[in-house]
Amino acid sequence: MTALAPPAELRRGLEYWWRSYRMMLRWEMTSLRLVLPVTIMVQILSGAGFVLALGIFFGQVPPRAALFVSTGVLVLTLVTIGLVLGPQLIAQQKAEQTYEFLWSLPVPRTTAALAWVTTNFILGLPGMAVALVVALLRYDLDLHVSPAIVPAVLLTLFTGTMIGYAMAHALGNPMLIAAITQLLIFMILGFSPINFPAEQLPDWLAALHRWLPLAPMADTVRAGLTVGVVEDVTRSYLVLGAWAAASVGVTAAVLGRRG
Amino acid sequence: MDGQNWSLRVRDLVKVFNHKVRANDGISLTVEPGEVYGLLGPNGAGKSTLVKQVIGLLAPDSGTITLGPHDLVADPDAARQLCSYLPQAQMPVASFRAREAIEITGMIRGGDPEAVARRRDELIEALDIGEWRNTLGARLSGGTRRLVGFAMVTVCPGRVVVLDEPTNDVDPLRRRLLWQEVRRLGDAGVAVLLVTHNVMEAERAVDRLALIDRGKLLAEGTPSSLKAEDRGRLRLQVMLTPRSETPELPPFVQHHTRVGHNLMTVIPEAEAAPAIGWAQDLIGRGLAEEYALGATTLEDVYIRLTGDVEAGGGASE
Repeated sequence: MTALAPPAELRRGLEYWWRSYRMMLRWEMTSLRLVLPVTIMVQILSGAGFVLALGIFFGQVPPRAALFVSTGVLVLTLVTIGLVLGPQLIAQQKAEQTYEFLWSLPVPRTTAALAWVTTNFILGLPGMAVALVVALLRYDLDLHVSPAIVPAVLLTLFTGTMIGYAMAHALGNPMLIAAITQLLIFMILGFSPINFPAEQLPDWLAALHRWLPLAPMADTVRAGLTVGVVEDVTRSYLVLGAWAAASVGVTAAVLGRRG
Repeated sequence: MDGQNWSLRVRDLVKVFNHKVRANDGISLTVEPGEVYGLLGPNGAGKSTLVKQVIGLLAPDSGTITLGPHDLVADPDAARQLCSYLPQAQMPVASFRAREAIEITGMIRGGDPEAVARRRDELIEALDIGEWRNTLGARLSGGTRRLVGFAMVTVCPGRVVVLDEPTNDVDPLRRRLLWQEVRRLGDAGVAVLLVTHNVMEAERAVDRLALIDRGKLLAEGTPSSLKAEDRGRLRLQVMLTPRSETPELPPFVQHHTRVGHNLMTVIPEAEAAPAIGWAQDLIGRGLAEEYALGATTLEDVYIRLTGDVEAGGGASE
């Protein structure tokens, strides 16, 4: 029989952190094993479908509209994972009462959060890439891909994921989390200047979106793919950065809190 | 051993929910390494609240919890590293194969990969769940899932292993295997904190136990020391005829409880003969169907101290 050796001292330091991160990532990926292929497929189909549906609806799509939708869909595929699916999975853990076991695991909280963000990247990126390729094949887009697309995509995914994560951890009631994510889908798809310019919204809603994260997400990603379409992308980065920082702050406060 | 004394010491622990519910109301106890320590009490007694503070999921309002040199209230990270926790709820392993769930948890707990793999295989064999080694958690029965959960938290045990109703849904044969593994944990110097309201099982499995009710520790000791006060007494159990009133009790009955048709009484040994006579008389008059006379058990102590009627040795909530 193997000797059972209870720990004599605490693990600390970078090696402990890195190992914990890798193990939590393995935990998250295995947890999603049964839904992972389906989720990635749904992301790919909905991203590509959105791009193609525009052409079916309107037949002849004006180049500017095609450009907006093709770049906006990328943001949709990126944020629906973090803002909608992620919180729903956490709500499910809370409803099934498995949440406490997960938070009793001996890993630094930051590794659990970062493993979650990484998982969201893995779920979100294939759909985004396929949507972009489909858009390029379907429409004669005037795209100018710049290196700025990398920080734009990373910040968009990170911010969307962390807002969803902070919300799901801060709210105790799983039903409430589910209800809010439903509302978010509605907001994101219908009333956010992601697939269309903000000018098409009522003034008050356009003004509000200057301070919400969704329009800045669309602006930063679009600025990484086009020239002369997005104005003042620096402001969008600042607003988005502020949302990212705030959601990290809320997450840290919520996860550090003990009832 | 490293010369360090790894006692778990809980002192004057108070936890109040919503400013009024005193879930833990000044609990103090010490669990020594190698000891299997039972926390016994009815639903809502405050047992789970107590262990959640030990493992760092809840913070007490006042009081201290130390494990060896570590202050677990001030350092919840230390609490998570030094304690392993099997919650009462099912484990989130639906998409894990049984062996994977055990192995990944062992790795998360910092185990060396080879040692984890060896111990995983030993646990699978010791708990007799080899048949489901490669089965996904979603396809496992509740009891097998429970055993996999037990293996997950004990593959690389902490200094303290907290088991909240570990045998729920587990079949009688594998329960015995599980208790053997609990004993091995104790032999390896682990302090086992066992939360249960299953009195019969606790009596056999624990070295010492605390009886908790309404947030307070009512009694603490070995099962036999707790039964000492009942020495010289017997339990007379009478199955009453359905829908009959509780009959008038003879003066020598010291305690009684009735659950359904089951009338449980505690009597002095010296009164055994008249007590049997009384029970036979009840049967003769059609008021009772059968009776049994036996030694008092921990359950009688439990009922006497908590006044709780639902302590029936049932395993689930």
